Amino acid sequence: MAALLRGLRVGRALRGFGSVVVPKTSSPQCNGLRRGFHCAALRLQEDKDKSIPVPPSSAASSTTTYHEHYRAPPSKNNTATYMHEAPAPEAAASEAAAKEAPQPNTSYADQSGEQGEEYETEEQLQAHILNAALDFVQLHGWTLEAISAGAETLGLSAASSGMFQNGAGDLVLHFIAQCNAQLTEQMAEQHNQVQLGQAEPKKTAEFLRDAVETRLRMLMPYIDNWPQAMSILLLPHNIPDSLKHLSTLVDDIWYYAGDRSTDVSRPSQPKYPSPHVFLTPFHQAPHTIRPASAKLNWYTKRAALTGIYNTTELVMIQDSSEDFQDTWNFLENRIQDIVNMAGAAKQVASTGEAVAQGLMGAAVTLKNLTGINQRR
Amino acid sequence: MAASIRLLARRIVRDASRTINSSVSGRIVSSSCPSNLSACRCFSDGAADKSTHFGFETVSEGEKAERVYKVFESVAPKYDVMNDAMSLGVHRLWKDMLLHVMNPQPGICLLDVAGGTGDISFRFLDYVRSQQERVARRTARANQTPSWQEISTSYTTPTEGIEMETEARESRAVVCDINKEMLKVGKQKAESMGISSGLSWVVGDAEELPFDDDQFDVYTIAFGIRNVTHIDLALQEAVRVLKPGGRFMCLEFSKVTNPLLARLYDAYSFQMIPVLGEVIAGDWKSYQYLVESIRKFPDQETFKQMIEDAGLFSVRYHNLTGGVVALHSGFKL
Repeated sequence: MAALLRGLRVGRALRGFGSVVVPKTSSPQCNGLRRGFHCAALRLQEDKDKSIPVPPSSAASSTTTYHEHYRAPPSKNNTATYMHEAPAPEAAASEAAAKEAPQPNTSYADQSGEQGEEYETEEQLQAHILNAALDFVQLHGWTLEAISAGAETLGLSAASSGMFQNGAGDLVLHFIAQCNAQLTEQMAEQHNQVQLGQAEPKKTAEFLRDAVETRLRMLMPYIDNWPQAMSILLLPHNIPDSLKHLSTLVDDIWYYAGDRSTDVSRPSQPKYPSPHVFLTPFHQAPHTIRPASAKLNWYTKRAALTGIYNTTELVMIQDSSEDFQDTWNFLENRIQDIVNMAGAAKQVASTGEAVAQGLMGAAVTLKNLTGINQRR
Repeated sequence: MAASIRLLARRIVRDASRTINSSVSGRIVSSSCPSNLSACRCFSDGAADKSTHFGFETVSEGEKAERVYKVFESVAPKYDVMNDAMSLGVHRLWKDMLLHVMNPQPGICLLDVAGGTGDISFRFLDYVRSQQERVARRTARANQTPSWQEISTSYTTPTEGIEMETEARESRAVVCDINKEMLKVGKQKAESMGISSGLSWVVGDAEELPFDDDQFDVYTIAFGIRNVTHIDLALQEAVRVLKPGGRFMCLEFSKVTNPLLARLYDAYSFQMIPVLGEVIAGDWKSYQYLVESIRKFPDQETFKQMIEDAGLFSVRYHNLTGGVVALHSGFKL
């Protein structure tokens, strides 16, 4: 039996000698070619049953970088995303080799950036598997079974879920990163429109409400399993990552709401497109108070929004009203609270100043009356 | 120049006919290319000329395969007992760790190469069956308090709905070994444990597996790859028979990182193990070979590089027991 198979393989190999295109001289190239072939097969399969819109901004890079304010135009620049990948020598070599590998089957390739992307690195392939796995979350929950099922739809064996050492945590974090990226994109789009004068700038409170609502609406398809996802995010080894995602989300929302406070220096500052400074009355007043409180202001704003976001999320998972109307009402009320509190804080400050001045005057008068002030 | 080409041509014809007609199981087709990757299998009968290591000895490659066969033929009856004695039972933990890292889902096909007495396969079947039971228990519990949506759907679709969730896909394990004696011992164990379905026993050479391409989800080789004459060929065969997305896992003795532990380990290996071999199995030389072959095997990083060269991705290794054993894993993507 073994001999028969060996004979068949010998025959195939002898025939194969005639059609070997590239002499396999170096292993990375060999890997690249083989990867190119596997990827061709995968791509054909994926293009056939491509119904989920893959976010054009490659979600893979969002797992490694958290700030993606400047995004290359989705049409052409795939090279921009390559720069974000971790430069492991193997990955670079396989990238270079796969770029040289013959591009198969251009009939499937659109001009849009989505379908032009190739599985050149493991991160991208992992991102694709996780995207496919999201379809199975309703069935299996946020677990490795969902990832295995996702891998199988891409034509890979179920054993490839072993690539994800964090298991379900990888899936949840990937999903969150994807949602955040989508939200940031939408906000940037709105921002551009306002700059071009095509849309009216929103008031801060309204902007915050819309941003949080948009972001929470992305959870709606998975809301039944969301408590499981939240508990996964609270596992100790996932807490640093989930906190990072949350803080960048809140930061992005405040940025696009118009907060350009520069009192806290951040390395990503220069990347922001320089717009008109979006100052609404809500923002201007705090800056006119003592400078020290401006820094506190940056923190309080983000802390407040974090609190709003988390509580609204919790309300949402047990909300059974039509289209989550209760949740949006709750959100509206919380934001109103913040606005009121900020107004009240302003009033207290000015009242306090007035009171302090009054007391000073009273003290001076008293001193005059009792004669302490006179020089003897 | 012309003479050597003619010689080469004659050799090719001779070897081609010999390979097709003969049924020598240990026949090794080695490459004469300078690089380790023998991707294009050049036929040569250099098997007699090239030498390799057999423990600390140097032997020709053809001879090594034969001698390894004889070693395992002689140790087969006492193999499991000796494993327990030499490792003080820790080998069971290593194999459990392999399964734990593998985390197989139900419905997976496993190829256990150099599986011999079948330890890995038995554990695999246990694991998968207990997982299936757990899933079945979970769905049964969930069905006890169905939500109103499930009740309404079960009214509309009478037979489907709940049964569709538990598609019981049978997982298979194939044990492949070059040595018939080891397989015999394994089969006896399977009978005594009462495992009948989902397990098959195949004689085969790791460098030339008798299977078609893209067959298996997981390929494991536990404590066997250091006995293979051409490790890169075995790795290439692994890549060949794995499905896309399949996983390669290798459990093997490796370099101990801690120097103190290394000294203790060396002393134990060279002083105690052959003695145990003589006392329990009556075979000093086989266990001397075992200990020496461990020293000759490349270390964790080198082996990881070899696995990557064979075309596997996302290669990682875990050190168990301080580096005494290393578990390497790679994916065919």
